[in-house]
Order: sequence, then structure tokens, then C-alpha cells
Amino acid sequence: MRTLSIAFMTAALALTPNVAPAQRAFTPARTSDGQPDLQGMYTRNGVVGLEAKPPVNPIDPGGSNPLSVSNRGDGLGPYPKVFGEGGTALRGGQRGAGQQHRTGIVDPPDRNLPWRPEEDAKRREFLLHMNPPVDLRHVELNARCALPGLFQGEDNNNPYQFLQEAGEVVILYDYNHTSRVIHLDGRPHLGSNIRLFMGDSIGRWEGNTLVVDTTNFNDRTSYSREIPYLTAALHTVERFTINDANSIDYEVTIDDPGLFTKPWKTAGYFTRVPKGTESLEFACAEGSQTLLNIFGPPPGR
Amino acid sequence: MERFIHSLVYVSALLVGTLPATGQTQSRRTADGKPDFSGVWQAVNTAARDLQDHSGQLGVPPGLGVVEGGEIPYQAAAAAKKADNFAHRATADPTEASCYLPGVPRATYMPFPFEIVQTPKQVAFIYEFAHALRNVPMDASPHPDGLPDAWMGDSRGHWEGDTLVTDVRNFNDQTWFDHAGNFHSDALHVVERYTLSGADHIQYEATIEDPKVFTRPWKISMPLYRRMEKNIRLLEYECVFYQQEEKFRNAPFHK
Repeated sequence: MRTLSIAFMTAALALTPNVAPAQRAFTPARTSDGQPDLQGMYTRNGVVGLEAKPPVNPIDPGGSNPLSVSNRGDGLGPYPKVFGEGGTALRGGQRGAGQQHRTGIVDPPDRNLPWRPEEDAKRREFLLHMNPPVDLRHVELNARCALPGLFQGEDNNNPYQFLQEAGEVVILYDYNHTSRVIHLDGRPHLGSNIRLFMGDSIGRWEGNTLVVDTTNFNDRTSYSREIPYLTAALHTVERFTINDANSIDYEVTIDDPGLFTKPWKTAGYFTRVPKGTESLEFACAEGSQTLLNIFGPPPGR
Repeated sequence: MERFIHSLVYVSALLVGTLPATGQTQSRRTADGKPDFSGVWQAVNTAARDLQDHSGQLGVPPGLGVVEGGEIPYQAAAAAKKADNFAHRATADPTEASCYLPGVPRATYMPFPFEIVQTPKQVAFIYEFAHALRNVPMDASPHPDGLPDAWMGDSRGHWEGDTLVTDVRNFNDQTWFDHAGNFHSDALHVVERYTLSGADHIQYEATIEDPKVFTRPWKISMPLYRRMEKNIRLLEYECVFYQQEEKFRNAPFHK
């Protein structure tokens, strides 16, 4: 299953032009209810990036090959390879030659995040206990087959499908059969006692840009391996801008006063995969032995 | 006083405007002329406990069966396996005991809402339970050859008049139809039929065929109800995550 999916992706990357077209206004088709039409299947690229001075990556301290966690010879990194593939995300902040899209942390431009110093210290201490994880809370969400939050879906890998119907934009992830329903009908956010991995998303169109305001996160989502948790105070504003027939530019403002003194921004882009690509089932928990491998059989069993 | 009268007139107009609508069976259509199934739906029955007639027990609500004719036509060996499943259901039910994806049709009648997303080329079913998801291409494409087995199967959809029909194959043999141990093999073939019986009701049917387990195809049917709350939306029931917390007894996160 994974092999098929990766084969699709390789084909997608090979076929998708990586250079933005000359600057001219692109006019997308309209859906029957008048929304700019961004439907289709895309890969996400570059959203998760590195800070200017990131802490040591706890999963791959040498930084040699974040793709092959399970191939480590030292017995560390108990994650199956399927989770290690997410490590490509760590490279999001880098820019290839001729890269036209903004990726990774874009504001502040020097990528020094506005950490509250005491929270930065706590986070760095936390990371020291992730490999091997000292307890369940130090296990990456991906390894627990949990919903990934907004950032830890996957970059450069499993595709995302956008569907639109009256009053909604729906994003279906290949990754762990995740989905987001973005409501465009002006409804208010949920009450504050409801907390969600994926948050509660309310959207609106500004020209060809879908602006999505998301709140009601739980305190278990993360931004990256280096920023392994965000708080329930997290509030995001995402901007999906239809760039041309084959790409969507993406920017998100991350406002988490629990960790940071002011909002910061990260960017990336979506590129269309070849016609005929289909999403395959990404069953995760059903085959996972990860927690058993880490912690052994649960007490009392 | 004048304002009061205005209010009365307004309220009367509202009543006149809404009363006939509640009685009618006309339902919305999409821009391409199909019945509009989009929205959040839920079964209101006990089929996820037991597809067949069952009495109440402590913690088990009683329920009318949803199997046409009442009986599930097991082959002899399969009937014995069903009985064994039933005896061990507390720990052996893949969905209740292990939070695994519920398969089809069980996902439909889990006691959780699900959303139908309807576009001309594709329909998606998003289930609140375990964030299960089904993509249903509506482009007349066949089931691909060589796909690995899947918990939720491979769904292909088409229209028969105003009925949305899905053909689902390519299942693994790991899911149960209910907590009573009704089961299938990897030869399972399910055909679902969704028909609007009003703006806010779907008549749901699933024909179940599995030559390794049953002596003939059999059918379940039930109404599905639109969730009418104005602010309705799917939330999250992260069964796996909650179970991990329970099993591995972790401390509260990030405190």
C-alpha cells in the first residue's frame, strides 16, 4: 500500500512543474455556489520548517538521514519506517535552486521564533526525553496514529484532496484518513470546552484566497519534531491562495500565546498530482505495534 | 402594540412558510440535478450492538433487528465461528475492543454522526468514529486490480435514478458487522443504496454477499436521520488515542 502511494508521489513530483508561471492573474473556474474552484488532489510541500537555531532533533540527533529512522544501527529510534518518512518535513525550510514558492518559517524572516524564554527552555528539556520516550506523552503523535493537527500531516508525501460543496471546503488527507471540514456559512466557533486535534475551522473567500480561522485546538498538536507540542491557546489563520491551475500557495499565522510572545508565520505550497491518482487507505493503529515495542505490554495484561 | 401586531404577522408568516415544508417529501437537489445528500447524518438504532432482534441487558439497549427476514444465512462452520465471536465479544470485537476501523456497513450505524460530502465526480463519507473516511469515485471507474485489502474496502459509486449506489469490495477479513460477532471473510462484497425519503431522511440498504461465509446474499435496511442542529458539525472521537491513554496510563501532557 505504502509502496503504491510512494510510487504515485514519485510520479507526481516528476511531472509537476516546479517553476511558477509568469506573473499574471489566474482566473480559476467557479463551483456551482460561486466559490473559486480549487478541487483536486495535491501534495503539500515545505510547510514545516526549521527555526534559525533549532534544538537537536531528538529522533535523529546526528541529522544525517531523517528519512531512515528505523535504519539506525544504535538501537535508538523505535519507530517503524512508516513514521520515519515524515522526517522529510524537516527539510521544509530549505529552498532549492529555482524555487519560486516560499517555504518554512517566513516571519520573522530570520526564523528566530518569538519564544517565551521559559517555554523554549521547557521544550528543549522535553525533547531530551523523546528518544527513547520516557513515557507516553513523549511519543510523537504520528507514532500514536493520532490525528496530525494542521502541520504534521505530511509534506512531500501522502496527497491531500480538496472537495467543495455549497458552504464548505473539505480537505481529505491520505495520511491516516484525516479530514478537515471548513465551514463557510459564517457560523461561530465552538464553545471553549470542546477541544480538537484538528481544531474548529471557519473559512471565507477573499478573492482567490481561502482564509481559514481555526480555534478550539487541544494541547496535543505539534508543529514539528523540534516544536513537539503547541498549547490549547493556539489560534491559526491560514491563507490558501490559488496560484495557477496546478498550485496553491499556503501561509499560516501561528498565534500561540502559551509559548510565544507574538504570532509567527510559516508558508508552503500545494502542487497537483497527475490525473487518475487515487488515495489509498492509510490504516495506522490497526497494524501498529509501536507502543508495545516501546513500553511493553500494558500493566495488568 | 403596533410592534406586537407586527410580530404576530411575522410569526404567522413564518408558520405559513414552514408548515407545508415539514409535510412535504421534496428534497433539495445539487446543481447537477442529483438529490442532495450532503450534510450530517446518523442512524438511531442498536444495530452496532446486534444486527438482529435482541432484548435489553445491563448496559445493552434492546433493539429491533435490521436484517430483512430476520435471519443471517450462515454456512454451518461460520455459524459456529459467529457463536464463538459472540462468547468472546468483550475482548475480540475489533471495533469495540481495539478501536479499529469499523468497516462497511458498520461505520454507517455506529452510534456516531457521519458527514456525506457530495460532488459530481466524487462522494466522500467522513465518520466521526475513529475519523474513518471513505472516498467514493463517481466516475464509473472499476475497482482497481491488485489493491491490497482494506479495512473500509474500495468503494465505487453510481446513480440509479435518485438512488446513490456504492459497490464496495476489496475488504480484509478483520472487521465485524456488530458487537454480537457477526462477521465476514475477505470475499465480502457490499452494495449500499442511499435513497432520500424526505429532505431529512435517507432510506439505507446494504446487500451483503460473501460466498465463504453465507449461503446467499442478505440485506439490512434502516432509516438514517439528518442531524438538525443548526451548528452541527463532526467532532472527534479518537478511540485509539483514548485507549492508549488508558492502557499506558500516562501523565497529563505538558504540565
